[in-house]
Amino acid sequence: MASPTKELVKTSNLTKTYPDGTQALTGVDFSVTKGEIHGLLGENGAGKTTLSKILSGILKPTSGEIYIKGNLVRMKRPSDALGLGIGMVHQHFALVRPFSAFENIVLGTDLNPTGERAKEAKASIADLAKGVGLQVTLDSPVESLALGAQQRVEILKMLYRNVDILILDEPTSSLTIKETGELFKSLLKLKEEGKCVIFITHKLREVMDFCDSITVLRQGKVTGRISKSEASPITLATMMVGRTVEFELKRSPMTPGDEVFTIDNLTLLDREGKEVVKDLSLKVRRGEIFGIAGVEGNGQTELAEAIAGIRRVAKGSIRLKGTETEGKSSSVIRRHGAGLIPEDRRQMGLILEMNLDENVILGKQRDLQFRGSLTSIAWRKVRQFTSDLMKKFEITAKGPESPARSLSGGNQQKVVVSRELSSDPDFIVAAQPTRGLDVAATEYIRKLLLDSRGGGKAVLLISAELDEILQLSDQIGVMYEGRLIGVGAAETMSRERIGLLMGGIVA
Amino acid sequence: MKLPLIGGGRVLAPLEESAFAALMGFFFGGILLVVLGYNPILTYYYMFYGGLGSLSNVTDMLGNAAPLILTALTFAVGVRAGLFNIGAEGQVYVGAGGAIYASYYFLPAGIHLGFALVLAGAAGALMAVPTYLLKAYRGVNEVITTIMLNWTAYFGVLWVAIVLLADPARPEKTISVAPTSRFPDFLLGSVSTSALLFAIAVAAAFYVYLWLTPSGYELRSVGLNPEAARFSGINPRKPLLSALLLGGASAGLAGAVQVAGRTTPFALYTGLSNVLNYGYNGIGVALIGRNHPLGIIVAGLFFGTLQAGFSTVQLYARVPFEIIQVIEGIIIFTVAAPELYRRFRGSLKK
Repeated sequence: MASPTKELVKTSNLTKTYPDGTQALTGVDFSVTKGEIHGLLGENGAGKTTLSKILSGILKPTSGEIYIKGNLVRMKRPSDALGLGIGMVHQHFALVRPFSAFENIVLGTDLNPTGERAKEAKASIADLAKGVGLQVTLDSPVESLALGAQQRVEILKMLYRNVDILILDEPTSSLTIKETGELFKSLLKLKEEGKCVIFITHKLREVMDFCDSITVLRQGKVTGRISKSEASPITLATMMVGRTVEFELKRSPMTPGDEVFTIDNLTLLDREGKEVVKDLSLKVRRGEIFGIAGVEGNGQTELAEAIAGIRRVAKGSIRLKGTETEGKSSSVIRRHGAGLIPEDRRQMGLILEMNLDENVILGKQRDLQFRGSLTSIAWRKVRQFTSDLMKKFEITAKGPESPARSLSGGNQQKVVVSRELSSDPDFIVAAQPTRGLDVAATEYIRKLLLDSRGGGKAVLLISAELDEILQLSDQIGVMYEGRLIGVGAAETMSRERIGLLMGGIVA
Repeated sequence: MKLPLIGGGRVLAPLEESAFAALMGFFFGGILLVVLGYNPILTYYYMFYGGLGSLSNVTDMLGNAAPLILTALTFAVGVRAGLFNIGAEGQVYVGAGGAIYASYYFLPAGIHLGFALVLAGAAGALMAVPTYLLKAYRGVNEVITTIMLNWTAYFGVLWVAIVLLADPARPEKTISVAPTSRFPDFLLGSVSTSALLFAIAVAAAFYVYLWLTPSGYELRSVGLNPEAARFSGINPRKPLLSALLLGGASAGLAGAVQVAGRTTPFALYTGLSNVLNYGYNGIGVALIGRNHPLGIIVAGLFFGTLQAGFSTVQLYARVPFEIIQVIEGIIIFTVAAPELYRRFRGSLKK
């Protein structure tokens, strides 16, 4: 342990409970010393972002203390943190796009960017930039700059405010390899100047290469704090993914049947034309759950969208029972035998303002089973259907007329899952099916997926939750930067190996 | 306090809410009248007398309400599909033009009115097509296109009225709508009563469409959550087209009602003075009616009453026209406020 005077940032017993009851941080003791690059490592939802938001004054902790340079502080807003020398660069930049880099850097300070002192300020920023190797053309509008340069503007913005504790949230996620290298060079220079950098990431390699010490978070708790010399990918991966199994579900042995769903050499592009899924192939057979693990943001969302027919395929093919699904709408794909459980039930799975009757027919509104006279919707038949689903899937709600918004997260998800399973699909895609659910609902949904497997359906499970993948899957692959790496039978995949793969290390 | 939205059989709570809001509006308006030195009780008395005080006042009021109900439906079906469609104004003009044009044909009574209504509705719907194309294929915001099209319609119809439909005997107006294509006066001796029944029938049809058909369901889904609708396989362009065409047709019919369903003048005047502002006032009616067809019928009658009271208040309570408009604005704003709050509180929080 470093001596207290050298600790620039220290938190003691920090706890954060969100208003909806989510326990984001529990008793976190965290500290960073002067002149170090400190890695903050963890899976999605481990609490990294919450911790950094508390340190930068965006969120207030529920309890616990924060010490900056040895003094107990209470920050109410980001400007308080800036005043104490803490600055954060978010994953998604907070820049005014049509403004020049210079204007963005001085924005919010009392400097007039067209005033008399602007010239000196510009010169001093240029000096500052040169000194730490963060070259930016100060007069160009930010929107014309590459993402790496925009990030340099964000960092300069913080340095201009004399920040000596710099928090970077997933700074390399949108950078090229070259830009990443340049960023690390600059960070090392900042370190030499005695500033400290808190570096939030899930990439093991970066942490191993550039951080002096590392804190690992899992489920809101610190699971380890080690120095660079002690760290190895395997120890970090273990600390990150843990080994707790909350509940046991029986996965009876199954002999997989014929192939139902196939993806061949699939490539998907984002709006800017960047490849977000690269040359991905997989097969799912009857009576089998194929689990795709991986940290979110590695192409899983786009993959699920392409399977659901709402994202264009750039290259390759997706076939359901031998039929190409490219160019077909999700209702056609559903009718062809797919059940689609989206990753965001509130945004994509449900219409929260509508009641349960209206939600259970979403996508089925033209089905013959609900048709009344003159092609109208026979709400009486829908009501019967809703009541049946509520009974069969143990959905707790006041009644079929309750708006979906009024249900708990678990019951909302049951509505989505029951709707998708009710058409008896041959193939089911479940994206992050238990995210944010309580233990009982999680277990129930997982059991439903296992039952579907038992019923001879093919299931593609996309989940950032490693326990879920390990518990349910027969085949496991890990998505990393758009590629499916390390595919294998579940028996051959250890927790540690998957942890390494999630961090981008192919052992 | 959480009040349920209208629909699904719970009509009473929104009615109570609106009644309370209206009382608040009358109260605040009353304070203003007292401050300005007018007698609020007398003013309100004549306001309602103008709308409800005599048989001719009542039919006049119903005549006001009919086009407002139809233009409110235009705005409401747009809101249900997630649009802010303010194109009703221009669509009223072309609808009126279409209804007058029908009088160049000689057809038996009944069929002639039907023909005029079809022309008016089609003209209104056609006026919405550019908005659809620009929004669906180029992502242009409908507020911009509808505002511009309102002006296009204004000057277009003005030209048509002066050049093509002009009355050879009276150059300040168009030809009058043929008696065979006017609304019948079988109730209370006025064409306005049957025009109102027609507007109510259209509102009922909108209700059936929105809540009982798959297409209406898809429209509401896209309006409430476009992402979920898309994920369920709904092509968002279809509800967009339905909302704009149905809305355009309804506003076109409002134009027809205005020239074929009002006691005078059964024609358009140069300057289009007798069809102005029905499209914009329809927005207020839709908000008061919670963008629900049944609520809109009630709101249209309320709005029609306030409007009918204009002249009597001026004449008997001696309150200047401008002040009556301010008072009306206060009342309409307070009645619309709960719905405005519900619709836009989300966008303020973000």
